[in-house]
Amino acid sequence: MSTLTTQDLYLSSFSQLQAKLPGQDAAWLKTLRLQALEQFKQTGFPTDELESWKYTNLSLSLLKESFTFDAPASTTAVAAQLKKAGFDTEKAHLMVFVNGQFSKELSSLKTLAKGVAVQNIASALTNETVKAFVGKIALSENRAFTALNAAFFTDGLFIQLEAGKVLDAPVHVVYVSTNAGQATQSHLRNLLVLANDSKANVIEHYWGENVSAYFTNVVTEAALAKGSTLEHMKIGQEDIKGYHIGSLIAQQEEGSHFTARLFSVGGALTRNDIETTLGQKKAECVMEGLYLAKDKQHVDTRTFIDHLSPNCNSTEVFKGVIDDQAVGVFDGRILVRENAQKTDARQSNKNLLLTKEAKVYSKPQLQIYADDVKCSHGSSTGQIDDEALFYLQSRGISREEAKKVLVYAFAGEMVEKIESAYLKPALKKLVDGWMEVS
Amino acid sequence: MLVIKGLKARVEDKQILNGIDLTINPGEVHAIMGPNGSGKSTLAHVLSGRPGYEITGGSVTLDGKDLLALSPEDRARAGVFLAFQYPVEIPGVNNTYFLKAALNAVRKSKGEEELDAMDFLELVKAKLKPLKMDESMLQRAVNEGFSGGEKKKNEILQMAVLEPKLGILDETDSGLDIDALKVVADGVNALRGKNRSFLVVTHYQRLLDYIVPDQVHVLAGGKIIKTGGKELALELEEKGYGWLTGEKVNA
Ligand SMILES: Nc1ncnc2c1ncn2[C@@H]1O[C@H](COP(=O)(O)OP(=O)(O)O)[C@@H](O)[C@H]1O
Ligand SMILES: [Mg+2]
Repeated sequence: MSTLTTQDLYLSSFSQLQAKLPGQDAAWLKTLRLQALEQFKQTGFPTDELESWKYTNLSLSLLKESFTFDAPASTTAVAAQLKKAGFDTEKAHLMVFVNGQFSKELSSLKTLAKGVAVQNIASALTNETVKAFVGKIALSENRAFTALNAAFFTDGLFIQLEAGKVLDAPVHVVYVSTNAGQATQSHLRNLLVLANDSKANVIEHYWGENVSAYFTNVVTEAALAKGSTLEHMKIGQEDIKGYHIGSLIAQQEEGSHFTARLFSVGGALTRNDIETTLGQKKAECVMEGLYLAKDKQHVDTRTFIDHLSPNCNSTEVFKGVIDDQAVGVFDGRILVRENAQKTDARQSNKNLLLTKEAKVYSKPQLQIYADDVKCSHGSSTGQIDDEALFYLQSRGISREEAKKVLVYAFAGEMVEKIESAYLKPALKKLVDGWMEVS
Repeated sequence: MLVIKGLKARVEDKQILNGIDLTINPGEVHAIMGPNGSGKSTLAHVLSGRPGYEITGGSVTLDGKDLLALSPEDRARAGVFLAFQYPVEIPGVNNTYFLKAALNAVRKSKGEEELDAMDFLELVKAKLKPLKMDESMLQRAVNEGFSGGEKKKNEILQMAVLEPKLGILDETDSGLDIDALKVVADGVNALRGKNRSFLVVTHYQRLLDYIVPDQVHVLAGGKIIKTGGKELALELEEKGYGWLTGEKVNA
């Protein structure tokens, strides 16, 4: 199936689906969807001729499949699985979406303080805040998947914190994809709106249990007002049938703190775009991530930090472990604009290749237009140190175990950096589990 | 205990060991001396199973077991321990974790019960003391940022924890000041016993004042060219190696 016909399929599906999508009583959304569809029509799916898709060829993977919009309504034993994965969900607000639909039965929210909203976005489409922000942070222009998402999204997470409000417990949102026959897709839109000095901790957790191929297309928009703090974690645990395309786009006001973390282990093909605009002075952002890939997995991470204002800091550390014939891509761009004096921006990307066939494309880009700044970036790709391997073996540790020890010595830093007692044991387990079966 | 017969080995295309014969009985300490580049480290590496060497002849047995057929980890489990000339730094791996994993791997292979964190800590702390090592080094990454002396002490600590049958010390004295040398030598001497043997590779006689060997062998050109008692070391110190090898070599 050619790219063109895949695109046509989406265009023709829209007219049939239009009336069934949520937001029938929200005129703004109807307009937004139509505009997005038009933008998608013009842009089409990205090809590897685009610099930002150079190493991720969709025509050989995602675009060869055709996904139905009629994903079955289904349930899974989410709570039990989370427990097994090492999460103490009693300590979190749990939100569960199955195949793009909110599942009230599987979700369990704790009592929320006044001025704190945590709900599924489909139930908030007439909310003025939703109207004010959706599509305003993640623009559909020239972004095929964002446009597609705007046109087709069925649901997602909506969090709104009024000034000074603090969400103590993390909001753990699980997006499950499950199919048995036909290839399925879901388009999810999340919106996080933090007013002045508010604070939230959000976990987006994607996983799949599928027989056929599936496609998850997610866009998360985050607005951080003055002095607010958002700790965001994305865990990518799609199964090997999954194609995952995700964006997390933030806008930061004065003195806000944004931490975006990514742990990506799953999926046949995964692409994550993580972006923030440090729009006012003294805003701060931390981006950290670990991507682990094996077999023929393809994992592509693209970050963009836009230093628009003076006295802002950004710290970025991404690590990748690539095994078998898998491919990793890291593209990290930092733009320091003329006005962004006293910027402190640091970026590092390190990769460990476990086989000769494993590949990594690492592309750090620092573009600096201000003169009084501190910026650094570094990228490295290496193999397991044979000397260290022998040293461990010479002490009685098996070669296999020694390899794991050395992989964890490399990747474990990303787990150790995590302070959250809710996340840390589960992420350690996730990394250990990945090494166990590799 | 250790029987080496006609051992030949090469690296890439370079023949380095040219037929080594050496027997070490239980409880004995043998020293191997020789000029730089004579193949001392190569012998130590070949015994411990380091990759990159091709065995082109001969045999090595430990208590009758064919050592050359074993993987490095199985040699370690069988009781071979190499104290490295250049201990490897392993960032990201905690020293305690490493020591415990090593000890438990060895214990498990012998059918012994693995030690839990508490018992292990007690054991390792007791072994640190005589080596005058600070407990804080247990929390550091393996050899990372250790001084030369600390690295060598860490090797001896590992040996003390693993209690091997055969300890091979490759230039453990190099880079040590006299105080550290004494501490390390005391650490080795404390491990001497009737069922444990040592092969002490050294360039200088100095170490052998503290670890007194039963036999001294001179290795040159990949062969043992002379064997004697501990007094041979003193003779070498005085005369250098030239009178044995027929060349002028700096000792
Ligand atoms: N990996 C290698 N490749 C090539 N030559 C080597 C290698 N390792 C050792 N050699 C050579 O083998 C000889 C013996 O080295 P070595 O065993 O380290 O000597 P010693 O420990 O006695 O100083 C030297 O000439 C050295 O250069
Ligand atoms: Mg040497």
